[in-house]
Amino acid sequence: MIQLFNVVKNYGSGSPALDDISLKIEKGEFVFLTGPSGAGKTTILKVLFGWEHFEEGQVLVQGINVGKLDAENMHTLRRSIGVIFQDYKLLANKTVFENVAFAQEVTNRDRKTIKFKTWEALKNVGLTPKKDSLPAHLSGGEQQRVAIARAMVNAPPIILADEPTGNLDQEISLEILKLFEELNRNGATIIFATHSQDILKLGNHRVVVLNRGKVVSS
Amino acid sequence: MNSSFQALLIGFQATIANVRANMQTFLISIMTIAISIGILGIFLIIFFNLNGFLASWNQQVQLIVYLNDDISPAQKKHLEALFKENSTVQSSEEVTKERAWQDFRLSQAEKSGMEFDIGFNPLPSSYMVRFKLSENRLTHISEFAEKIQNEKGVESVEYGKNWISRFEKFMVFCRVFLMATGALLSFGLILIISNTIRLSIYSRQDEIELMLLIGATPGFVKIPFLLEGILQGLFGSLLSLALMGIIYYYLKSEFQVSIESIARGMDFQFISQPFLLSLVGLSVLIGFVASYISTYQYMQVLNKR
Repeated sequence: MIQLFNVVKNYGSGSPALDDISLKIEKGEFVFLTGPSGAGKTTILKVLFGWEHFEEGQVLVQGINVGKLDAENMHTLRRSIGVIFQDYKLLANKTVFENVAFAQEVTNRDRKTIKFKTWEALKNVGLTPKKDSLPAHLSGGEQQRVAIARAMVNAPPIILADEPTGNLDQEISLEILKLFEELNRNGATIIFATHSQDILKLGNHRVVVLNRGKVVSS
Repeated sequence: MNSSFQALLIGFQATIANVRANMQTFLISIMTIAISIGILGIFLIIFFNLNGFLASWNQQVQLIVYLNDDISPAQKKHLEALFKENSTVQSSEEVTKERAWQDFRLSQAEKSGMEFDIGFNPLPSSYMVRFKLSENRLTHISEFAEKIQNEKGVESVEYGKNWISRFEKFMVFCRVFLMATGALLSFGLILIISNTIRLSIYSRQDEIELMLLIGATPGFVKIPFLLEGILQGLFGSLLSLALMGIIYYYLKSEFQVSIESIARGMDFQFISQPFLLSLVGLSVLIGFVASYISTYQYMQVLNKR
């Protein structure tokens, strides 16, 4: 499902952000990606959804050779991946419902399907009562749940989460983790980047440890 | 709903949002387009009217064949036969030496209010040849004048060849000037609109990035900005048409009488419909090209990460 072969990524002249990384993640797996700040967690995720180029190696996602994809066809890769960001990346001028619907609008789904799927996604994360609220009126945990709803609404086979509990307290973090585990039970492959030892202990999943751009343990 | 229509609808909604968010720059851009297209339009109005003037003047031109004083009746008959033979000639009229002198004296007397007499008649007799109205009337006159000036008994021919030729050269200059002005203004407009669109793009940078992250095609991202450029071009050109209309009616009310006195029956013209549509089309095209350049450059920057 996801394979990285000797991937090297440099930002400028310093030490590489990814230094000869090789990794294999099977379909339906739940993998924690951990390590200290600057270990390369976010860079790996960005490489996986084609947001960052890499200098060496090969990346295969769902059989797609990411390095060979041009800008015109990048959407084919990104539509098979749901991405959740630490800063949520919600659109401030859109309501909760519109933010989730937006992920389907960009893929040209019809209005009826968009409405139905958005409602369903919001129900799964327990946010239907807040559907007309603007992100600014939600708590951090609620905003993260909107981001999760947006990532899952198109039912992608892969979900990448970049420090999704980074700004949340432990109780809310556990709730968020449970949501990811439920998505995983429904068949999605999850890569969950975190530096929180508490989260790692709470979830009984494979842990890939990174340090200075290298895989320390897998 | 058809998916491409839906994408267009979403794009249009985003365009409206862009315009609302950057209303001031949008309006400034429209005003700039209106002024630039207006300048081009006013040059076009002047060009059209000069062209109309030339056409109307061409239709009034007639050939005067001046005769030698010693022309024989047989030579005259031969010339008259040549006029009749030519299918482009409408009519010919002989103006005798005496009539020419009488007409000249009359016109001088009208102008100065005094009798004009020098004791002898210096004017030659002539034929006034009128040609049928046609597209190539001037060419017919020129060809016939060329042919007839070497006939026996003909002193010279006159139809204002030099004047017409100079005027036609001036019209060629006007055409080149118009094209150069149009090209320069178009280039300037492309720069202005592309900057407006760039501002619009930067104000929605987060949304664009998010769109791309969640699987939007580059085309889907570009649509709202392309539509914005097209709208700027369209509104700008429509505003310029309104401005040109106002200027035209002002000029017409002020100068129609003077124009009629210079070229009898000539009406002060507005730009013809095909050219009006071309101006709107050009403006829309400029808007599209400018916004395409901006979005293309922005996407290139994103893709180079």
